[in-house]
Amino acid sequence: MQKEYDVIIIGGGITGAATLRDCALRGLSCLLVERGDICDGASGRNHGLLHSGARYAVTDREGAEECIRENRILRRIASNCVEPTEGLFISLPEDGLDYQANFIEKCREAGIEAEPIEPAEALRMEPAINPRIIGAVKVPDAAVDPFRLVDANILDARRHGADILKFTAVASLVKENGRVVGVRTSRGDVIRAKEVVLAAGIWTAGLAREAGVNIGMMPSKGSLIIFGHRVANHVINRCRKPANADILVPGDVVSVLGTTSDKVPIESCDDMHATPQEVELLLREGEQLVPSLAHTRIIRAYAGVRPLVVAEPAGDGRNVSRGIVLLDHETRDGVPGLITITGGKLTTARLMAEMATDLVCRKLGSTARCETATRCLPGSEGRKPGFMDPFNIRAAIGRHGEEVSRMDFDNGGEIVCECEHVTRAEIEYAVKEFGVRNVSDLRRHTRIGMGTCQGSFCIKKVAKVLAGELGVVPEGLVHDYLQERWKGMTPVLWGDTLREAEYMQKVNRDEI
Amino acid sequence: MKFDVVVIGGGWAGRTVADRLAGAGLRVCVVSEGLSLAAVHDESPYSCLAGLQKKGVTVLRGDRALQGRADADKVTGLVTRNLGPDTMLEAGAFVLATGKFFSRGLLSDMNHIWEPVFGADVAYDADRTKWADPEFSSHQPFMDFGVRTDEAGHVLVSGRPVMNLYAAGEILAAGSKEFDTDSFIEEYEHRIG
Repeated sequence: MQKEYDVIIIGGGITGAATLRDCALRGLSCLLVERGDICDGASGRNHGLLHSGARYAVTDREGAEECIRENRILRRIASNCVEPTEGLFISLPEDGLDYQANFIEKCREAGIEAEPIEPAEALRMEPAINPRIIGAVKVPDAAVDPFRLVDANILDARRHGADILKFTAVASLVKENGRVVGVRTSRGDVIRAKEVVLAAGIWTAGLAREAGVNIGMMPSKGSLIIFGHRVANHVINRCRKPANADILVPGDVVSVLGTTSDKVPIESCDDMHATPQEVELLLREGEQLVPSLAHTRIIRAYAGVRPLVVAEPAGDGRNVSRGIVLLDHETRDGVPGLITITGGKLTTARLMAEMATDLVCRKLGSTARCETATRCLPGSEGRKPGFMDPFNIRAAIGRHGEEVSRMDFDNGGEIVCECEHVTRAEIEYAVKEFGVRNVSDLRRHTRIGMGTCQGSFCIKKVAKVLAGELGVVPEGLVHDYLQERWKGMTPVLWGDTLREAEYMQKVNRDEI
Repeated sequence: MKFDVVVIGGGWAGRTVADRLAGAGLRVCVVSEGLSLAAVHDESPYSCLAGLQKKGVTVLRGDRALQGRADADKVTGLVTRNLGPDTMLEAGAFVLATGKFFSRGLLSDMNHIWEPVFGADVAYDADRTKWADPEFSSHQPFMDFGVRTDEAGHVLVSGRPVMNLYAAGEILAAGSKEFDTDSFIEEYEHRIG
């Protein structure tokens, strides 16, 4: 006789993973069944944006409040998954400033910090944004790594006794006397549970229909483009009614632009891809946010499906509520043993899981309390909030550890040496602490010019920054560095090293 | 494909030669791999190449000259990577303007330096320790290395001048003779009467 679980959760995206974790933390025996790999659906095909809620403040107050609450929770419990980039909502002349005024008011009503910023200041913070801006608002948006976040939930669930069955599809729900009592897998096994939770995103509708339950789902396709460069360090939004391609999110070394929003047939959801038309639309709009996107290398385009739930399918999906939908099929459809959790967003998945697990507990007569808002996820325990440090200072932390507290990244966060990610703040620190006299000295204390380009591309920039710190002219600061490098190159001067030597001679002739 | 002159290299030297020849009415082809160091100081080489195209020059962008074919003392054709082994670029004359090391006009290993397209004679020091001066800011001997020519500017291969092969720009060894565009044009006009 096979074990009977308290709960079976279908779907290994963020909603399923978070629900599994919540159930496990409340002491329920639980199993997650996923037809593919973890995070292989919409959870892995989105912006990687941790919403502050600002985007919804004007149109969906409740959604906005959920977002800012969950945003603050995730920064704390999943600090290794969240990069606190913060976000800017920029207004272009065609957007006007009326929307901005209302936007700020609505953000504040929803409890979201919204600080207006002068265009000149915004351009100083983000030189890549459209110089035509007439206004900007800073909000607590952030970047989140969805893959890591799902993994962290899975890890915590497993460490609290949950089971996971990957690469196993649910062929059907097993019903006895009108009650759902488990699942039949594609391998023919029947696994029993007291409650089954559908958390399979857009694929939920098909599973439910088969059990005699109708959920009106509207697949809303969103296409995105990844650029091979981190063109901005903040999440950049357009301050207007939400539309296509008006969000750019930095993620590690890349930037993600999106999204489109189009209703698509449910049959197409297994094979989502971005179309040439969508790509053109994204680029056209994206250039309004950041003009240099027009000639930034594009890595790839991809698409995901929002599992929106509607009473009356209509429009493009953008006006349909993206709110959380929790369905108790016992009361709704007379089918006990079955619960659906869908809708929502990556940002609010923890809350969705809490709501679903509360319902499961009620059904099972458990009084266990939800702890997922306060207990840190694996990788985040013992870390201060914001542990996933801003991208530009991670290398400095690796080099200097706690010494970075002496570096003023707020006023010197720009990267000077691209290979080794040395910022101006680190240069200032080295000058102050080590009495650096020239670029060669600087190299020893910061790794500047020690990376793959060996200073070929940054040396003039470095000299200029250092000259500013020392109050001297840049000429003369590079000679020792070049000479030291030359000494190391001459014994191996053939092939590509000889190619580089010629380049180095020509580029630096005027400096010496 | 038949031209009056095929210029190998779309950097500063190759563009200058091609521009003058085309201006004089010659049918010119430029093979440009796009590795020019001119981009460091200059405007975009690509926009310059577009200017040549407007003057009627055939530009093979992103293509690399692989091997010259020779017959007695003349080059008869050129094989490029993109056109493939079955399509020879033919011309009355060829100008090597592929630059030095960075642009791969000259290749090197631990002890040798060679010119890969025609196997032209390269002037360099057989003692590798003499290729560079230990002072970065001193004159660097390897910057003088390059292909040899005779007094008239014909590129030497195995010590013998190739009568329709010339060189221009950085690929030339110090003391070799730059392709003389003016006299070439003069000769051409004289020949066609």
